[in-house]
Amino acid sequence: MRGPDIAWYLAVSAFLFATGALGVLLRRSPLIILLSLEIMLNGGNLALIAFSRLHGESSGQIFALAVMAVAAAEVVVGLGLIVAIAQKKLDLDVDKLSFLRG
Amino acid sequence: VIVAAWICLVAPLAAALTITLLGNTISRRAAGYVATASVLGSFAAAVVVLAKLWSEAPADRSHASTAWEWLTAGSFHVGLRILVDPLSVFMMLIVSGIGFLIVAYSIGYMDGDNEERRYFAYMALFVFSMLLLVQAGNLVILLAGWGLVGLSSYLLIGFWHDRPPAVAAAKKAFIMNAVGDATMALAFFLLIQHGQSLNLPDMFAIGPGHGWLVNLVALGLLGGAIAKSAQIPLQTWLPDAMEGPTPVSALIHAATMVTAGVYLIVRTSAIFEQAPRVLELAAGLGAGTLLMAGLIALVQTDIKKVIAYSTMSQIGYMFVGAGLGAYGSAMFHLMTHAFFKALLFLAAGLVIHALAGEQDIRKMGGVGRLMPFTRIAFLIGSLALVGVPPFSGFFSKDSIIAAGLSRGWYGYILFAIALVGAFLTGLYAFRLYLIVFPGEPSPFVREHLMRGSHAAGMEGAHARSEPGHEVHEHKGEGPFSMTSTVAVLAVLSVIGGFLQYAPLWHPISDWLDPVAPPFALPTNTEEALASLFAVLLGLAGIGVAWLIYGAKRWRVPKLAFSQRLLEHKFYFDEAYDAAFYRPAVWLAKGLGRWIEGPIIGGSIREITAAFREAGLDTSRIQTGLVRTYALAIAASLAVITIVFVAVR
Repeated sequence: MRGPDIAWYLAVSAFLFATGALGVLLRRSPLIILLSLEIMLNGGNLALIAFSRLHGESSGQIFALAVMAVAAAEVVVGLGLIVAIAQKKLDLDVDKLSFLRG
Repeated sequence: VIVAAWICLVAPLAAALTITLLGNTISRRAAGYVATASVLGSFAAAVVVLAKLWSEAPADRSHASTAWEWLTAGSFHVGLRILVDPLSVFMMLIVSGIGFLIVAYSIGYMDGDNEERRYFAYMALFVFSMLLLVQAGNLVILLAGWGLVGLSSYLLIGFWHDRPPAVAAAKKAFIMNAVGDATMALAFFLLIQHGQSLNLPDMFAIGPGHGWLVNLVALGLLGGAIAKSAQIPLQTWLPDAMEGPTPVSALIHAATMVTAGVYLIVRTSAIFEQAPRVLELAAGLGAGTLLMAGLIALVQTDIKKVIAYSTMSQIGYMFVGAGLGAYGSAMFHLMTHAFFKALLFLAAGLVIHALAGEQDIRKMGGVGRLMPFTRIAFLIGSLALVGVPPFSGFFSKDSIIAAGLSRGWYGYILFAIALVGAFLTGLYAFRLYLIVFPGEPSPFVREHLMRGSHAAGMEGAHARSEPGHEVHEHKGEGPFSMTSTVAVLAVLSVIGGFLQYAPLWHPISDWLDPVAPPFALPTNTEEALASLFAVLLGLAGIGVAWLIYGAKRWRVPKLAFSQRLLEHKFYFDEAYDAAFYRPAVWLAKGLGRWIEGPIIGGSIREITAAFREAGLDTSRIQTGLVRTYALAIAASLAVITIVFVAVR
């Protein structure tokens, strides 16, 4: 079964990763940053699966599944933190959340 | 034989553990009975062992038994091994027999003390330690027993732990003994290094050409012996040890502890005989001690301290005997000394008990009028101590003195010193007796004894007795447990000497002969000569004491210098203070000021300051802004990627 060339997959993957990275760097809302992180992770996943199909090996796909599981856990923690911040009636702005300044 | 020996050893330990573990669930009196019964059991077992050994041929009277391997290092094995032979049975009988009487006496003496259970547990432990020491089948076990004796003496001397002098005395005894333990351990290390078996009795065939080695080993053992037996120069702990309860003093002085040094010399006589100079040193130290202790005893005003110095003096005799090679005589004197010294202490304990803990003989006087039984017991003890025939001291001491005559010029010197010691013994023993007992009762004594309601009996321990607890159901001299044991000891002090009369029959020397064959064998003429001199001088001492303190015809000579010298115990404490304590304090203070403060403390302060600086500087990077961190990560990733690409 022939699909698009591997280069297309990698291009989409790189595009997703760059989008996510820019989101993390530029946005201020923790919620959006969390979303952007997920996009970055899925960019990586896409590349993993693409290479896995190319080489006919399944380990890349399994690795992608593991990444999803970790990402889910990470979202739970991240959303929990955001809820806690919201309950304290603090601004949802990462630039203002700088209590850990040395 | 072996089973009985193990029972003898373990019974007091079992009692100590029982009393300790049961805690408050047994009554105080029961604790006393448990301890007494266990020591009595030991004594019975020792008698069984004696009977068994007696029925065997003299050459076969040595049995060893190993319970288990205790310590293994390469080819070096130490088993938990006990040895039963004539010498150890002899000591077992003395330790458990006298120990039993003293523990039984304690039931009456300690009645009403708040911590009787602890006391009896310690007493049982003490007897166990001493039995372990004398039954040890190798030198390591002996050292273990040796150390345990030191520990239990520490615990008992400091029994009244809320009295600072008692605690100080306990520490002093422990430290002094630790010096001896250390030298002994060093001697054992030397023996181990040279591949010697530490097992008793087969040991110490140190080959020729090792003269220095055997001398060192003997010196190490001698160090242990003089520390435990309170000889010059490690004698200062003994008088202070009087801070403990009186039965403890009796136990330390009569049955256990101080006799251990003499036992050690006799037990390891095989080593000492290869180092004759060291043996002569032992005799010399003993002679010096007996003279010095006799002099100091002349000026002491504490009833127990006078007796303590007399112990030092008598142990000095034993060292002279052992050092001259008259082992049988030394052990015989050890036995009779155990009888009459326990008697003296326990009789003194009766007086102290009746006088509510007063120990100063200047306040006493005329006690005998009100305590006739104690007076007779004390008189018997004193006569035995001086060596007046037919009391027990006469038979044993004179053999030791006679041994001096058979050993050349060095022996003659010791002979002369021992005779002077005999005179001093008569003088100080009867000074004590004449001050305390005869005559009209002093007001102080009258106050305590006439009312019949002497306050709580413990030495200076009024506050300790429980409120509402009647200490004195008894009237007069003391409860049955106290007077009966004193009576037994008095009888022993009178007849104990007849066991051996050197010119005619000598079962003890014969009995010990397979273990430690003596090499000083005075002839009958020498024995007679020594006895004559010793008795005459002893009587002269008594006579002088009577003239001064009894008839008051002579005044006490006023010699300010010598009196001060004696009252300060020849300045030994002061000398040790100056030689060891003060330099140690100076050293510690100097180290604290010049090393600890600037170098060690300073370097640590500098290092911590440097780390704090570095940390503060680093912490500026932590802005707390998540996006700067993310930017930093992204930027550095970008740089790394570019570098990778460029390098390829």
